[in-house]
Amino acid sequence: MEQVTAVQTEAITAINAARSTDDLRVVELEFLGKSGKLSGLMKGIGALPNDQKPLFGAAVNQAKSQVEALLNQRIQDLKGGELNRQFETERIDITLPGRAPRYGREHVLQLTTNKIKRTLGSMGFVYQESPELEHFRYNFDALNYPPDHPAMDEQDTFYVEDDLVLRTQCTALQGRVFETQKPPLRVFTVGRTFRNEAVDRTHNHTFHQVDCFMIDRGISMAHLKGTLGEFARAMFGPEVNVRFRPDFFPFVEPGVDYAISTPKLFNGKWVELGGAGLIHPNILERYGIDTREFSGFAFGLGVERIPMMAYGIDDLRHFFDNDFRFLSQFA
Amino acid sequence: MKLTLSMLKDYVETNLDAQAIANHLTMTGFELEEITEVEGEPVLDINIMANRGDGASVLGLSRELLAKDPSSRPTELYTRATNRFPASDAHNRDIWAKTSVEIQTASCTRYAARVFENLHNGPSPEWLQRRLRQIGQRPISLLVDLTNYVMFEVGQPLHAFDLNTLAGERIIVRQAEAGEKLTTLDGTTHELQPHHMVIADADHAIALAGIMGGEPTEVSESTTRCLLESAHFVNTSVRRTRKELGLFTEASYRFERSVDPEGVVASLNRFTELYTEITGEKPVGGVIDVYPTAPQTHELTVFIRRASTLLGMDITVEQAQSYLENLGFTILGISPDSIEVQTPTWRIDILREEDLIEEIGRVHGYEKIPEALPIGSTPIGGPQGFELLTDQIREAALRSGFDQVVSHSLRDLHPLDSDFLSPSLGRGGGGVDDQQPSRIRVRQPHSPEMAYLRNSILPSLTDAQRKNNLDNIHIFEIGRIHSSEGEFTQIAFLSNGTFEEQSWRPTDQSTADFFTLKGTLEQIAHSVNLPIAFKRHTSDPRFHPTRCAKVILGNQDVGLIGQIHPLVAESSSLPATTVLAELTLDPLKHEVTGIPTYHSISRNPASRRDIAILIKKDVPFAEIEATILTAGGPDLERHWLFDVYEGKGVPDGFHSLAIALQFRRMNANLKDEESNALRDQVVTALTSLGATLR
Repeated sequence: MEQVTAVQTEAITAINAARSTDDLRVVELEFLGKSGKLSGLMKGIGALPNDQKPLFGAAVNQAKSQVEALLNQRIQDLKGGELNRQFETERIDITLPGRAPRYGREHVLQLTTNKIKRTLGSMGFVYQESPELEHFRYNFDALNYPPDHPAMDEQDTFYVEDDLVLRTQCTALQGRVFETQKPPLRVFTVGRTFRNEAVDRTHNHTFHQVDCFMIDRGISMAHLKGTLGEFARAMFGPEVNVRFRPDFFPFVEPGVDYAISTPKLFNGKWVELGGAGLIHPNILERYGIDTREFSGFAFGLGVERIPMMAYGIDDLRHFFDNDFRFLSQFA
Repeated sequence: MKLTLSMLKDYVETNLDAQAIANHLTMTGFELEEITEVEGEPVLDINIMANRGDGASVLGLSRELLAKDPSSRPTELYTRATNRFPASDAHNRDIWAKTSVEIQTASCTRYAARVFENLHNGPSPEWLQRRLRQIGQRPISLLVDLTNYVMFEVGQPLHAFDLNTLAGERIIVRQAEAGEKLTTLDGTTHELQPHHMVIADADHAIALAGIMGGEPTEVSESTTRCLLESAHFVNTSVRRTRKELGLFTEASYRFERSVDPEGVVASLNRFTELYTEITGEKPVGGVIDVYPTAPQTHELTVFIRRASTLLGMDITVEQAQSYLENLGFTILGISPDSIEVQTPTWRIDILREEDLIEEIGRVHGYEKIPEALPIGSTPIGGPQGFELLTDQIREAALRSGFDQVVSHSLRDLHPLDSDFLSPSLGRGGGGVDDQQPSRIRVRQPHSPEMAYLRNSILPSLTDAQRKNNLDNIHIFEIGRIHSSEGEFTQIAFLSNGTFEEQSWRPTDQSTADFFTLKGTLEQIAHSVNLPIAFKRHTSDPRFHPTRCAKVILGNQDVGLIGQIHPLVAESSSLPATTVLAELTLDPLKHEVTGIPTYHSISRNPASRRDIAILIKKDVPFAEIEATILTAGGPDLERHWLFDVYEGKGVPDGFHSLAIALQFRRMNANLKDEESNALRDQVVTALTSLGATLR
C-alpha cells in the first residue's frame, strides 16, 4: 500500500513540476500509460494474498483516477495559457488594408439606368431601343416639328446625310413604335442623344435621355403627373413633389416643363427636370390613332441630371471621361 | 424679354410685387429668368417660348397676367391698346402726296408707314431714356428711342428712315437682286441673294426686311423728314436671312416668333401718340397701309368634357369662357358643353381643340391637376428579348470583375478601329467617307477629334487605360458602333496586369493574358446559356497574329479576342501585354438562347487519375480534349489541365501536359481497377494523336 502512495506522490510531484502540456503528456505516459508506473503496480497484485488483492486493486484504481483528474486539471490550466501565448504570436493589425478580389464596378449612368428600368418596368412600361443614327422623319417630322424649325439647323443637329441625323432626342422612338404597334401602349427607352453644342460644365454634345410614353383610353395630365410623381420619388426619395409649368415642345399639347422639389435636396426649391405633356394629336392622327378614343402622355429627361442632382455632381463632362477617381465614388 | 415694373403697371393695375408678377407669368409659361434692380426699380427678364412671339411685349405679358390673376385690372392704356390705338387722322390722305409703298414679294404680308416732317431729332426725354437703359437698350435719339420703346411696349418692330435720303422718296418691298450690296447699321456690307427680302427705295436696297436698317438711310440729328415703317414679314424668310448673314436683332427675334399683323398700324399710332406727347408736333396726316394678305384666324370648338378629361381636372363652361375671353379669343357661340371661338390674330399657334384645352388648363392652373396612376391592363414591363440578353451579358461582365466605362460615339480615327485605314488629307462631307469607305462621318463636326462615329469601342477603352495610367486595368463598355453596314451593339473588353490592386502581401497573382480573357468570355457565355468557341484568326492587323481568335457565340461569328499587336501597342503607347476583345451582339438576335440542361448528380464517390503526356506542341489542346471526352465516355465526370511544361527532359517541339481525369458512375461505386481501365482507355486514345505517357 505504501508503494501505491509513494508512486501517487511521485506522480503528483511530477504533475506539479510540469511546465507545459507537452511535459504533462510525458508524465501521463510515465505513470498512466499501459506500462506506466501506476498501471505497472497491478503487475505485483498476483504476489499478494487473496484477501488483500481487492483492497490493493481498489487503491491503485483510486490513485490512478486521482492522478488522472489532477493531470486533466493541469492540462486545462496550461492549455489556456498556451493558447493565449499562441494568440499573441498570431496577432494581426486589423487596420491593415483589405485585399479585395476583383469586383466589377458599374458606371454611374448604368446605376441610374438600372434604377430607371426597374421603376418604369415595374409600372408596366416595356423597354425598347431605337437607332442613334436616325432618319430625319423619325427625329423631326414624326414628332410634329414644323418644316424649318430652328432645331433642324446644322448648328444644332449633327447631320450625316440630308435624311440621317444623330438623334437629338430619344422621343424619336415614338414614330417607330406607332408604325408597328397598336394602342394601348406603354413604352420607354434610355439612350444617347446628340446636339451640336460646345462642351462645358453644363453642356455636352452627347448625353443620355430617358423617354417614356403611353397611349390608352382616357389618359390625362393627371396620369402624367401621377406617373412622373412615382418616377421622381423612385429617383429622389419619397418626399418629392412634382410641379407642371406650361412650356412648348412640338410633340406635346398641352406641353409642360416639370420640376420637382423635396425638403431634403435643393433647399426646397423647384428644380426643372425635363419636358412632358399629352402626345400631340397631330402625331396620333399621323399614325391612324383615333384621338376621340385614345390619348397619351410622354415625358423625357436627361439621365445625367438624375445623379447630378442626387449627388451634387457639378460637371457634366465627368460622365464620359472614364476617370476612375470619379467613377469609383458611386460603385 | 426685359421690362420694368412701371412699364407693366402702365398696362396693368396691380398690387403685386415684381416677384409675385413673375410667379404668375412663370405659371402661364413665360418663365422668369431673373429680377434685377436697375436705377432703383425691379426689371424682369422673361423667357419667351418659341411659339409665343405675342409674349415679347409689355402688352402681351400684361394680357397673360390679367388672364391669370383676378386681382389685377387692365388700365385705360391697356384698353386702348386692345382697341388698336385708334387715330383721329385715319382717313386723311395727305401722306400719299409725300411717298408711296409697293409690295413686290409674298414674304411681306403688310406694310404701313407714316411720315413726319419739321423734325428736331434730338435726345429723347429723361423718362424714356431711363426706361430704355433699364431694359438694356442704349438711348440714341428721339426717333430711334421711340421705335425701340414702342417695340418693347406692343411687340411690333418699327424702323425710321431719313426720307430725304430715299431715292424717289418711296418704298418698294422686294427680293434682293443677286449680288446687290447693302451696308447695314452695324457697318457691315452684305452681298445679297434673291432669297433675301429687302426694303428698297427707287434705286437700292435700304434695309434687310425685319432685321436691320441700312446705314445710308439712317436717321440722324440733322434728319428733318422721316418715314416710319411698320410691317409684317413671313417668319421663315426672316429667320433664314438673319442666320445666313449672322445678324440677330430685337426685330428679327420678334419676326421669327411671329408678330400680330393687326398691330401694324396700331403701333404707328402708338408711336405718334408718344411723339406728339413729347414734342407737341403732329405727323403728316394719314397712314399708308398696304395689306395684301389677310391675317389667319381659326374658328374652333372646344368641348368642355373633353377638356376636363384630358386635363385631369374639372373645368366649367363659365370658367373656360372667361379664360378664353381674357386671352383675347372671340366667343362665337356657347352651349352647355362646348364653346366656339375665333382665335386672335396674334395667336397663330392655336390651330385645334387641344390648343384651346391647353389655354384653358394653363389659366386654370396646372397646380390643380391631381396625381393619378393610369389604370388598365399592363404588359410585362422592362427589357425583353435582345434588350434583356444584352443586360444579362453586361451583368456577367461585371461579375467577372470588369469595370464598366462609357465613352463618346463621336471620335477621331484610331489604329484600333475595325478596318482601320490611315487618315489621308482632303476629307469629304458627311455620310460615307470617300477616304474611309466603311466609316460614318458627321457633316459639321465640332472638331476633327469628333468627326467620325466609332466603328469599334476598343479605341475608347485604350483612352480610358491611358487616362487612368494604371498598371492593372480590366474594363469593358457596351454600346453602339456605326459603319456603312449599319448600327450595331458591341461589347468590348480591355484587360492588362494583375487582378488584384497593388497588394502589400506578396502573392503569386494571376496576370491578364489571352487565357484570362478567354475564360471571362466563357463565363459570360455560360451565364446566358450559349455555347462559345474560339477559332484561330491571323489576319486582323490590330491583333498579335499568333495570339488572336474569332469568337463564335451560339452559332454566330460575333467578334475577336486577342493580344494587342505589338506595333499597335507601340504606336498607341500601350503595354504590349494588353488583351482585347470586341463582340458584336446583334447576330444573337437570331439565336435562341439556351435553357440550362439538368443532369442528375451521382451520390457515389469520385476517383481521380492524373496522367502526364508528352505531345507535339502543334497539336491543339482542343483536339486532345475531344479525344479525352470520347475515350472517357459517360464515366468521365470532369477533366482539367493542371500543368503545361516544356524544357529540361522534354524534346524540342514537344511539351508535357498534366491532365486530371475525374471518374464517377451513376448509382455504382467504381472499383480501382475500373478507374484504371478508364484511364488506360484515355491514354490509348491519346497515343493515336502521337502522345506518349511520361
